Amino acid sequence: MRAAPVLIVIFAAVLIFPYFFPSPYLIHIGTLIFILSFITTAWSYMGRFGLVSLGHGAFLGIGAYTSGLLFNYYGLSPWIGMLLGGGVAVLFAMIIGYACFRFGVIGDYFALVTLALGEVVALTIIAFRDITGGSLGFTLKSMGTSLLYLQSEQKIHFYYISLGFLILSLLVWKWIDRSKMQKALRAIGEDEIAASTLGVGIIRFKVIITSISAFTTAIGAVLYAQYITYLNPHTLAGVPPSLEIAFKAILGGMFSLWGPTIGTALIVSLEEYFRVAYGSTFVGFSQIIYGLALVLLIIFLPKGIYGSLYEFFKKK
Amino acid sequence: MFDLLMNAAINGLLLGGVLALLAFGMNLIFGVIKIIHMAYGQCVMLGMYFVYTLVTFLGLPILLACLLTLPLMGVIGMGLQMFVINPLLRAKANPLTQLLALAGLTIVIENLAQVIWGADLRGINIQLPLISFGNVFLRTSNLIAFFGALLTLWGLYMFLNRTYVGLAIRSIAQDVDSSRLMGINPQAIYYVTMAAGGVLTGVIAAFFSPIYAVHPHFGGSFTMMAFIIVVLGGMGNMLGGFIGAFVIGLVTSLSAALTSTEIADILALVIFIAVILIRPQGLLGIRVSK
Repeated sequence: MRAAPVLIVIFAAVLIFPYFFPSPYLIHIGTLIFILSFITTAWSYMGRFGLVSLGHGAFLGIGAYTSGLLFNYYGLSPWIGMLLGGGVAVLFAMIIGYACFRFGVIGDYFALVTLALGEVVALTIIAFRDITGGSLGFTLKSMGTSLLYLQSEQKIHFYYISLGFLILSLLVWKWIDRSKMQKALRAIGEDEIAASTLGVGIIRFKVIITSISAFTTAIGAVLYAQYITYLNPHTLAGVPPSLEIAFKAILGGMFSLWGPTIGTALIVSLEEYFRVAYGSTFVGFSQIIYGLALVLLIIFLPKGIYGSLYEFFKKK
Repeated sequence: MFDLLMNAAINGLLLGGVLALLAFGMNLIFGVIKIIHMAYGQCVMLGMYFVYTLVTFLGLPILLACLLTLPLMGVIGMGLQMFVINPLLRAKANPLTQLLALAGLTIVIENLAQVIWGADLRGINIQLPLISFGNVFLRTSNLIAFFGALLTLWGLYMFLNRTYVGLAIRSIAQDVDSSRLMGINPQAIYYVTMAAGGVLTGVIAAFFSPIYAVHPHFGGSFTMMAFIIVVLGGMGNMLGGFIGAFVIGLVTSLSAALTSTEIADILALVIFIAVILIRPQGLLGIRVSK
């Protein structure tokens, strides 16, 4: 394992970073990268097996709104809300997943169905505006600094919590890699009919991996909502956030462990650079470059930035 | 109550006419190039911005601005074919990759519009009179759009059935290899198709301009609407798309009148999901076995 020392150095650097650069801004960017990477990694759990979902916004919305509403109305701690939101997301994923996989909806058709589902969840949140605040969203009640309620006025708390979650999601990736499920899903991804004739339970494995991805995504959404303390259907459900998750993973490379994290870090940094450098006069400019880079990458480097670099160095 | 529903039904049918155009464009491109044009609604949005710019900044009369928008959008369609679709076809990308690349394009177009025109609503200000039949009120702009759309569809029908290029497009849609044997160049036909699809977005933009004000995220919902209709009628099935447009127009308009616009949109999306799951060939489609 030659990669281990490098990993330890990077991990130590990330860990002690806030003590050498105690700038709230940098810590904020770090936290954002961790939380969003957590979600992107969760998306890649299924994306890497050819189950490309363009509707993970549905799980974001379900998770964040379940936890957020239970907290605001009943004072339920987001730690429990997180699990409940994850549970509702899993239920949703199982129903939809079963229906899709039972009827053999795959590839571009699966992407289209999930795209529609993300929009359905966003519209549902908006339609029940009496409870959810509709398009305007709602703000979480402030508890000051209370880790029991996953709220903090100090950014450094969230920095370490979200880093912990990100590491957890990477460990889950490793766990999936070692499990029997990984072999089955890879076989399914390569040739469904061949896999099914060998006795691989296609529907079962697909539903399981979709549920794991949905649960993790919902937890990531609760984390994000607790950090921002504001929930809005346009940033937590619907088409744009769903596409963003998928694109970050694809840009970095959804087939490798570090791909989603690298993709997210690149996009967040790029967005911040343009926002700081050009201010509000060029709102959207970073997105244009991001979109163009994406289209070019999808056409010419289908394995993503990290995946392609990795292969390039492996060949040498 | 009855008047309200009557109004909603008639306006839904009128909207269905323009939706039929939208679905026709997406169907044409899917049928010929076998690609799902994820950015079709965004192209319509671009067309509306062109009309707005030509009217507001160059002070052109609206009719002239609309006419100028058509070739502009045709050129954009050909540009997309050259810089996005051709590389995708050359890379032998699978349908999912094509879908994602075009979805990436929506980000480029939407943010380009935001950088150039800003995030607020832009519309051309014209007042057209309301027409009333008893308790039913019709907006003149909706009527113009409806009959204009039917006229355009008739024109497209004639183009596809009576001209050499139109017949070539149809033969490519049926069988690329045989068409090549007949001396048809698929590359040239792809360009013509994307140009026609582009001009069509210009036509839709012209009909939409007096009805809606445009903003950078205007296109997304219409891309979705076009999908819903195309899938409902069967991918690549022109007649199915035509009927589907009126069904969806009527259903969304009536349910919006009875409940809210969000519920209406959810209903349309649920129909879309149900059709893909249960009848993926669409209501009029024939299942093709591979």
